[in-house]
Amino acid sequence: MNEHRSLSRAARLRPLLVPVAAALAALAYWLGPVAAQAPVADEPARAVFTMLPSNHMLLRATVNGKGPYNLIFDLGAPITLLSNRAAEESGTVDAKTPRSFLFSMRGEAEVDELRVGSLKAEKLPVVVFDHPALGLLSDAFGRRIDGIIGFTFFARYRTTIDYQKDEMTFKPVDVEVRDLMKDLPDRIAGPKVARRKVLASAGLWGLRMGAVEPGGAGVRVAAVVADSPAARAGLEAGDVVTSVDERWTTDVADVHAAAAGVEPGREAAVVVRRGGKELTLTVRPADGA
Amino acid sequence: MISKKTIVLAAALATILGGSAAAIQAGADEPPRDPQIGRAFRVPYRLTDTNHFLVRVRIDGKGPFNFLVDSGAPALYVATETAKKIGIAPPKDGFWTPIDLLEIEGGARLEKVKGRVEDPFQLVGMNALGLPGASIDGILGFTILARFKLDIDLSRDRMTWTRLDFVPSDPPIPDDADRKNAPLEMKMMNALGPLAKGLALFIGKQPEDEVAPRGFLGLEWDEADKAVTIRRALPDSPAAAAGVRDGDVLLRVDGKPIESAKAARDALAEVRRGDSVELVVKREGAEKTFKVVAGEGL
Repeated sequence: MNEHRSLSRAARLRPLLVPVAAALAALAYWLGPVAAQAPVADEPARAVFTMLPSNHMLLRATVNGKGPYNLIFDLGAPITLLSNRAAEESGTVDAKTPRSFLFSMRGEAEVDELRVGSLKAEKLPVVVFDHPALGLLSDAFGRRIDGIIGFTFFARYRTTIDYQKDEMTFKPVDVEVRDLMKDLPDRIAGPKVARRKVLASAGLWGLRMGAVEPGGAGVRVAAVVADSPAARAGLEAGDVVTSVDERWTTDVADVHAAAAGVEPGREAAVVVRRGGKELTLTVRPADGA
Repeated sequence: MISKKTIVLAAALATILGGSAAAIQAGADEPPRDPQIGRAFRVPYRLTDTNHFLVRVRIDGKGPFNFLVDSGAPALYVATETAKKIGIAPPKDGFWTPIDLLEIEGGARLEKVKGRVEDPFQLVGMNALGLPGASIDGILGFTILARFKLDIDLSRDRMTWTRLDFVPSDPPIPDDADRKNAPLEMKMMNALGPLAKGLALFIGKQPEDEVAPRGFLGLEWDEADKAVTIRRALPDSPAAAAGVRDGDVLLRVDGKPIESAKAARDALAEVRRGDSVELVVKREGAEKTFKVVAGEGL
């Protein structure tokens, strides 16, 4: 991780296409890994949100002890964003940090401490940027919107959102948030080769899948190994499997992906169509391969 | 001055607040009581390379399709090509397209919802560049998400969505005048969608991940005292055909020592159909080596 937050340096004016291509490759530098987790507490932290008339969730937060600031919570935002004003006031960036002409962008920085409700988040990577939509919302609702809380924040927690109670809860989870953009430059610049992944079933079922039914309607069982977990569950060749462990199965890979989540010894519901009827069978895969 | 980062940010942030910023709440319809209210659904998701959540949905029985989970989008968006596949189209002079049934993988069902057939930037741009590692067919925004209590935990492979007794109101229909007079900055961001599509011609669309099921050996095993013993080599399985027998103690898989069932699973995790796997077992005090050609199945 780059510790000394390099802020966006002025670059030469170029035709739009080139920087877009280059910059997409450079996404890595903004969306860096999430910092270390706080110790796991028993009770989740809570925060109350309000709904904007535009149906966005709004949280009030302090940033490095300054504020409060109005931040939109957005599950679809891959990053956390602060306006120039909030970032300067809170000392997240210094007022002399150069701005680019487009959206007054200043690049990435780190917030030492962000508090929202009873939650304290430390060393939070943010991007400093005057998002035009925030300007529009601020104008429309007569209330300043100072930023957006996105993935880099909520991925640290088991996050619940209750739109009926207007409440969120956050409980730290031990999860390594992958350095998501690290492989992007390679993917964009490198050869256009699909990444290959093997879907390994967690246990042994004794099942061979066959033809895919048209229209996403399921996958037919080609064969069931005698006396295997699948056979004991009552699966038969010719059954059309429509879901495994509450996951849809529209192709063979779906079946293997679902089986990857069923640990040996755990029961999983398998829904099949057999002769016009729908049956729910219970398979308990064995330890094996 | 435009820095490279500037443009990237614009691209990244275009996914934020995906929908109309100036939406104003309208009156709600009378909510009919739904038998799913109070039920919790385990919703499988995929996290894309760009840290977006994708879930699978069926619309009017068609699909499945990949939809973004985006609380910053005001409504349900269906890409125009997806709408064609489903066979739905917006009514003449209508903004919303009625959808009879929206099913979300994991068991949740919503009847009679409204969708907007449109290609917002995040769909056009991401799909053109192939960035997320999967094609995206639409967006689940506020009008869908707010019907659930959402529980998101990246250490698990599924979210939990609990159906609330709550029907959010539709965002208002943006009028044409407003859309034409969008601020310059918004126009620039919107312009990035088609731009990304054009760029894809130069840099090439990224292919989707290619997934292969693991190969099948047909072995059941038990773990005891740091040893993995073959309980059964299933009849007619590749392992049985190669000569592995019940009671053999598994010592090594492709040279990797096996002292636990987990070690055995890990050693075999990348084996594809047709791959040859070397198993070394102990039988009656002697070591025996077998080449097993992985078959098809699970």
